[in-house]
Amino acid sequence: MPADLYDVAIIGRGPAGLQAAIHAAGKKAKVVVFGKLEKSSLYRAHVANFCCFEKVMTGKELLEGGTKQAESFGAVFIEQDIIETKSETDCFTVVTENGQTYSSRTLILTMGISRKKLRVKGEKEFVGRGVSYCVDCDANFYKGMDVAVVGNESAAVTGAITLLRYAKQVHLVCRKLTITDLLYDQLNNSDVKISRKAWVKEIIGSNEVEEVLLTTGETLKVNGIFIELGAKGAMELAANLGVVFDAETFSFIETNKWQETNIPGLYAAGDITGQPWQIAKAVGEGCVAGMEAAVYARKLADS
Amino acid sequence: MAEQGVLDVTDSNFESDIIKADKPALVDFWAPWCGPCKAIAPVIKELEETYGDSIIFARFNVDTGPNTPAQYGIRAIPTVILFQNGTVVDQLVGAVPKSHLEEFVKKVL
Repeated sequence: MPADLYDVAIIGRGPAGLQAAIHAAGKKAKVVVFGKLEKSSLYRAHVANFCCFEKVMTGKELLEGGTKQAESFGAVFIEQDIIETKSETDCFTVVTENGQTYSSRTLILTMGISRKKLRVKGEKEFVGRGVSYCVDCDANFYKGMDVAVVGNESAAVTGAITLLRYAKQVHLVCRKLTITDLLYDQLNNSDVKISRKAWVKEIIGSNEVEEVLLTTGETLKVNGIFIELGAKGAMELAANLGVVFDAETFSFIETNKWQETNIPGLYAAGDITGQPWQIAKAVGEGCVAGMEAAVYARKLADS
Repeated sequence: MAEQGVLDVTDSNFESDIIKADKPALVDFWAPWCGPCKAIAPVIKELEETYGDSIIFARFNVDTGPNTPAQYGIRAIPTVILFQNGTVVDQLVGAVPKSHLEEFVKKVL
């Protein structure tokens, strides 16, 4: 068991994650929170319907307040995305975009939901024939080929670096990168060819993907394009742990009223568990998840 | 109830167990490192319990052999292909809800 083991690790820094951190740290659990404040869908919102806040608050104000509160209870914040999760005996390990590994007795998933589809011509037509949404799953099918990755965040950049091990040439198409400095250095020292201030306009091919047309007018001759928008979400991080998704849409994580998933020690709260997309629902679930995870971690520590 | 559960197929028995089978077959192309593959595995098992008498449910680990996945042009996993009389009826890419997969399976019933 690792020496610097946390009791509760939380992925996602929106209202569910912050409330979970406040309650778990309030129960004296050793808490770490991963993620970037500005990635929460609340960040750019104005909130007028959250109980006890009569005046309209900006999401940014609420999130900054929540962070200070959680810190005052003792929670530690790591401003990085998580790119990998693993379930070990009696603990979970997570890997950050900078490649650091952290271990925790329990894990709370509060990374919300993000857009996955690019919504451009050719995308739907070529799914499975050159269009992919999962570098980890599909990199192996592009050995010795030319590929492009599109996205501005950690999933796209770590994906492009991973693909260098398989593909002949890797292009990264991005408007403006929002990643840590260390990841930025890794990218700049790699063989990834970067098309900056660009986005995908159309995916072109006959039977399979043959080229990608960019908004800059440039055309990339590639066999495949990996669409990796945002940070890694539920399907990539949670599915790997064996989490059960909701039967109806297969997009959200199934939890019970204690916010437990089907995996012992693994909880989920907020948008990631389904609608409604409301701060009140997120903090409610976050509160329960934080308390439950802290209690569960204590039991594991004592056993 | 079906007798055998989800059958593991490879390059060596694909021809005999899927192509030359006397029943339609659903093949889930997957790999152990693939999260979305893990997500749909239990759904396929459930469908096997319901439809396993009339359809063969199989899975092909793409790590075990490249020939069959290449033959069917597989470039993403999970890909689920439905076979009847040795030919491809339809295919689905990515993790989809059970209702969606069930509609898909019914194409050969």
